[in-house]
Amino acid sequence: MKKIIIKILLIFSICTGAFGSLEKARQLYNDPKVERKNEKITYELIMGDYYFSAIPFAIKHINSTQKINPEFEKALKALVVKAGPEIFFDVSTEVLVRHDSPTLYFVLGLRYFHEKNYAQAIKYLEKVPDNNYLQPEVRLTKGASYSLLGNSDAGYTEYKKCYTYADSAVSSSANDKIKRYYAILKETCLIHVARLKFTSQEYDKSIEAYDEIDKTSYKWPYVLLEKAWVKFKQQDYNRTLGLLVTYKYPLLESYFMPESELLTALSYHKLCLWEDALSVVDQYYKIYKPRSEALASVLIKNKTSDNYFFYLTHESTQMLEAKHPFIKSLITQIKKTVKYNVEYGAYKIAMKEATLLKKMNRDDFIRILIEETDSQINSKIKSLNWYIKEYMYEFINKINGLSFQLFKIRIDIMSKKRDLIYKGTQLIAERGRGDLKHVKRTVDEQFWEFTGEFWADELGDYSFGLKSNCEEVKQRTFEDVKQEILEEEKSQMKKKEDEGSKGAKND
Amino acid sequence: MTKTIVTIFLFTLFTTSFQALAENKKEKVVVEYKKYERFDLGNLEIQGSVIAPGDVSVKERERRVLETDFYEKKDYFPDIRRDVLNLK
Repeated sequence: MKKIIIKILLIFSICTGAFGSLEKARQLYNDPKVERKNEKITYELIMGDYYFSAIPFAIKHINSTQKINPEFEKALKALVVKAGPEIFFDVSTEVLVRHDSPTLYFVLGLRYFHEKNYAQAIKYLEKVPDNNYLQPEVRLTKGASYSLLGNSDAGYTEYKKCYTYADSAVSSSANDKIKRYYAILKETCLIHVARLKFTSQEYDKSIEAYDEIDKTSYKWPYVLLEKAWVKFKQQDYNRTLGLLVTYKYPLLESYFMPESELLTALSYHKLCLWEDALSVVDQYYKIYKPRSEALASVLIKNKTSDNYFFYLTHESTQMLEAKHPFIKSLITQIKKTVKYNVEYGAYKIAMKEATLLKKMNRDDFIRILIEETDSQINSKIKSLNWYIKEYMYEFINKINGLSFQLFKIRIDIMSKKRDLIYKGTQLIAERGRGDLKHVKRTVDEQFWEFTGEFWADELGDYSFGLKSNCEEVKQRTFEDVKQEILEEEKSQMKKKEDEGSKGAKND
Repeated sequence: MTKTIVTIFLFTLFTTSFQALAENKKEKVVVEYKKYERFDLGNLEIQGSVIAPGDVSVKERERRVLETDFYEKKDYFPDIRRDVLNLK
């Protein structure tokens, strides 16, 4: 009973606090004598959890003041965390540079990164001090900028720092959601290290970095494909196939990667197991053609809409299933992404704010706040709609692009088969079951034989044991058979003659 | 004058009449073709190697190898960029 009373009092105090802050903000707005009005209104609105309502006042203050004080820097931090750094993207560069604000340097760096001006991005991100809360994001952006500029050493150093900062942020965060966010960020930094090593062809180091991602991680299913590419480059095609077979695990149904089919076909092709490669190609067309058509029909019909794809993510599973099971799975995949979750979280905060404001007496101040939150909600919907649409377009383009690549594999196999016929040769053996002697493994590498069953602890450690079928042997022609028969007849005649001469001697 | 004209006229008449007579006396040439000729193929001699009828031979030539530039991952630059853009 006591607990319930405490909870009610707590909720009441929070509500009255929020209301009190809004009231104070209203008074400040209506008082013509107040100095630094926009700054003070920003504080009050943030105190009352009206983050989206505070945005226009914060921007006005940034534009009008010459120097930002530490208290306002904290307010900027709150706004960036709750609403995202894009809210300040429209502020001019001269204004952003004028204030010695780490948050605004980060905004500027990120904006230059969006514009593909990586050198400028690095220049401004370097101004963010080491003890700033944005360090994990800053280091990741800097690392990516260096990588894209081709400076892999500097990129590697930044990613390593990103990992350290994100790791300490995980330990220091009390909130589970924030903890999860930094954990994903930490893994992203690790993946970027692995990618960097892959690009510089240091494959063992790349695998080492990938192996640090835990199997329970959100990123882990995506890592499998990247790891499979490393193994492919190391010419360990059996391990590549083993890694890719993990995607057939029923619980990874929503992680369908068309690229994994191409890599599977390529691996079989490298092992000269042509029939297997061709069956993967056929399977790809069978599976992805209807998927591509279903996706295309949805995209073409609604390509000009500003909100169709956003509301598609709100539809029930049954409704999505009725459109096409693939659309349902793709939406599930999108809903698991960091971008969607962060943006959708911000959208919910904005919606909550708007609902509260719309219940209040509408004077000029409240009307301005409602207008602002509504415009922020619309911009979030448009931004998410664009993100989902882009994701789907990229997916369909990938399906079509890979389809051409698989066609090339088919043509190559046909050409190689024809060459064998002309040369009168054939490949050494028909496809047989694998053998353990063909499995490569390092000292710290797990290995599980895949026998058609999936076990949670074995996932990601499967390897096929297929022998390469690339050796060519001469094919028996009609002439060869004729020669063999003649030789056999000769040997039988000789045998008979020998037996006859022995019999004559005995007589 | 008239005498010379008459002599020239008589002379030309005389020569042309002799030419016509000589042409009429030419023998007519009748060309006769062979109506039947027999070839003994068995006695024919052909220089060079004899290929038995029914042998199919394919001239050896260097086969053209198609260039196969299969897709292979080289870097993750688009993914790296996307990760940063979709961070917050």
